[in-house]
Amino acid sequence: MPGPVQNNGLSSAASALQMLERKQQVLANNLANASTRGFKAETTFARMMGNQLAKADTAVDLTPGTLTETHNSLDLALEGDGFFVVDTPAGERFVRNGNFRLDANRRLTDDQGNPVLGENGAISLPQGTVEVDATGLITVNGKPQQRLRVERVASGTDLEHEGGTRFIPDASRQVIPPTERTVKQGFLEESNVNPMSAMTEMLTVLHRYGAAQQTLSTIDAVRGIAVTDLAKPA
Amino acid sequence: MDPALRAAATGMMAQQTRTEVIAHNLANVNTPGFKRSRAHFEDLLYQTVQGQQVLGENDTQITPAIQVGRGTRLAGVQRLHEQGPIEETGRNLDIAIEGEGFFQIQLPSGETAYTRDGSLQISDQGVLVTSSGYALQPPVRIPDDASEFTVSATGVVSVRRGNDIQPTEIGRLELARFANPSGLLSLGQNLLAPTAASGQPVIGFPNDSGMGRLQQNSLEGSNVEIVQEMVEMIAAMRAYEINSKAIKTADEMGQIANNIAR
Repeated sequence: MPGPVQNNGLSSAASALQMLERKQQVLANNLANASTRGFKAETTFARMMGNQLAKADTAVDLTPGTLTETHNSLDLALEGDGFFVVDTPAGERFVRNGNFRLDANRRLTDDQGNPVLGENGAISLPQGTVEVDATGLITVNGKPQQRLRVERVASGTDLEHEGGTRFIPDASRQVIPPTERTVKQGFLEESNVNPMSAMTEMLTVLHRYGAAQQTLSTIDAVRGIAVTDLAKPA
Repeated sequence: MDPALRAAATGMMAQQTRTEVIAHNLANVNTPGFKRSRAHFEDLLYQTVQGQQVLGENDTQITPAIQVGRGTRLAGVQRLHEQGPIEETGRNLDIAIEGEGFFQIQLPSGETAYTRDGSLQISDQGVLVTSSGYALQPPVRIPDDASEFTVSATGVVSVRRGNDIQPTEIGRLELARFANPSGLLSLGQNLLAPTAASGQPVIGFPNDSGMGRLQQNSLEGSNVEIVQEMVEMIAAMRAYEINSKAIKTADEMGQIANNIAR
């Protein structure tokens, strides 16, 4: 471990400015996705590094968004925790956005055409009225088809975001037992971005940014005095 | 500061598109057989600004990767094929489909298009055509001496000819159905065309093996619900506003940064 770095006021203030810039980028991304269904906001927090410099760290906020009724039988939402599993060319991915549809072969897919996985793989549905119960069991005209796979990760896991509201599952993934799930048919989960708190956070960032800049300028002025006045011959 | 500005700009563009879709829905609130659409967004690829890090040697700490998103983009505009309300019109050439299925019509190019708008007319040739003048497939010819035009729930078209007492069957309407109707391409004029995403049409008689049934003297109204669209519009406006604030904040931070060096 390297020894403690001599704290340098200038680089402290500069790291604060950088940290706040990153925070603002994350806030802007959250706000841009305020109406992206199934989106999970990123939270930022400052971390003090070993050398006493501030640094912005991000984590996914998995708080559920509100559920909106759509009356569309292929719109599914999960109440509480858990993810649907889709099969993408890059591997299995987790999604909260249950805006599913049927493709030309009557296979259930997400909005990008990736097959949604059930307990026995991809799900093909016959013609008829689709019903999905709370455990994720899909029935068509009363005939049971397949049960959707719903998985969760250990609480406190920081999932990695992929674009398209998909997440990369980590090693702690496990299937949620059917009795512990609440799949809601005809609902979609809205983005969990809270515009109110994002706005206040954005204002705080702005003010802190101004303060850090003042600090930087002050340190600079002090150094200026040191250099120009102290060195003057008496 | 640039990434924040750009992310917020993608947010504003997304809300603009959402408003365009809502405006199109509202404009078609009285279009028979119209199906509303909704815009879907997804977040853009994330930039991993710093990978996973292992801190320390003995009491090892792992800090997760830091990811910053780059905004949002339009993932698609999905047409929702929910049943519209069946409205009684009293006009015997108005036919509504209750359930799945589309009328097939022939375009001047010879291709087949599909519609739910059953406000039919009789052309100068005596053939059943849509309100835009395209002939229904398979064609149904109405004889000159016909009266009392009726269409049954299963699509049988019959008329009374001359002074006959018994009606005569002159044809039968067929419907087409798609695995994924949302994948059909809108051609305007209430017409839809098949695509690879919609699948091939399955043709059959009305009220038979999952096909919808026909109702004469009625039209299927638009499935746009004004209140729902208005709520969406307010939400879109607020989201637009808040993204503009993000741009303003990013801009002010840029100004402050410029003041560091005086």
